[in-house]
Amino acid sequence: MGINTEQLSNILDNFVSSTNDVQGAALVTPDGLALAASLPGGMDEERVSAMSAAMLSLGERIGGELARGGIERIYVEGDQGYGVLTSCGEDAVFLVLASRAVKQGILMLEIKGALGELKSILI
Amino acid sequence: MEIMRLVVTGPVGAGKSTFIRSVSEIEVVDTDRRTTDESAEMKAKTTVAFDFGRLQFTPKMALHLYGTPGQSRFDFMWDILIRKAHAYILLVAAHRPQQFRNARRILSFMNQRAKIPMIIGLTHTDCEDAWEEENIAIALGYIDPNKPPVIVKLNANEPPAVANATIALVQEFIQQSSNAEQVCLVT
Repeated sequence: MGINTEQLSNILDNFVSSTNDVQGAALVTPDGLALAASLPGGMDEERVSAMSAAMLSLGERIGGELARGGIERIYVEGDQGYGVLTSCGEDAVFLVLASRAVKQGILMLEIKGALGELKSILI
Repeated sequence: MEIMRLVVTGPVGAGKSTFIRSVSEIEVVDTDRRTTDESAEMKAKTTVAFDFGRLQFTPKMALHLYGTPGQSRFDFMWDILIRKAHAYILLVAAHRPQQFRNARRILSFMNQRAKIPMIIGLTHTDCEDAWEEENIAIALGYIDPNKPPVIVKLNANEPPAVANATIALVQEFIQQSSNAEQVCLVT
């Protein structure tokens, strides 16, 4: 049985439209290829995927080599908003883009919820 | 202590990560991930951010080597790395003509962003179907016979060969900077 990509896309679309102040989300392979994405207009899926993979790999490298342990998430905080990267099992990386107005606690909970759903499909 | 930053670039599977592993005196900082794209049959792991290695070249000069990812979806990394580089080497697998176009694309990408000395390193030249040096130069867009690029042949698995290529690159840098009568090494 293959991965149900339609279901993955649905979960991402739902996540983006139902979570306040979330502007986009993407699920990508650790080597930077898109599995599914729901991104704001003007953002290129291929580029976003490659950047997510590069960032997570560097973060994990820092975790290992600078003795920070396993990486839970990578958090990019800009004056326009947030980019949060979370590893989603062995085979995927989950990227979420949110506006500056987002409530961070809600965002983390929502990400956790979405990760659970995504993992159940990937395995 | 002077630091010279060298970038190792080229298409997928040209031997960039191997090059840096062969010459670095520190354990290489790599960002390898399992390959799932069309290059999966060629190799199991691929660089997704950069490789970093270091070499004490002379008592007064250290080389910092940065290897780029090969796939063009990572061209933002090419951009980040080349802007700070002093010189770069473009690795090309001589037996994969289908990749020459990608190599040429990387070449023009780099040359648009940085006017820095460069050389070409040919790998896999011992393969049966490897192309001749002159023909590869033409395929990469060097059509003027009066301005041939500096080309070295190397096996990325052999440290002496990689060291020679590195020396050739540093020489190219020194020559070009003395031509321009300005050395812009940053300490």
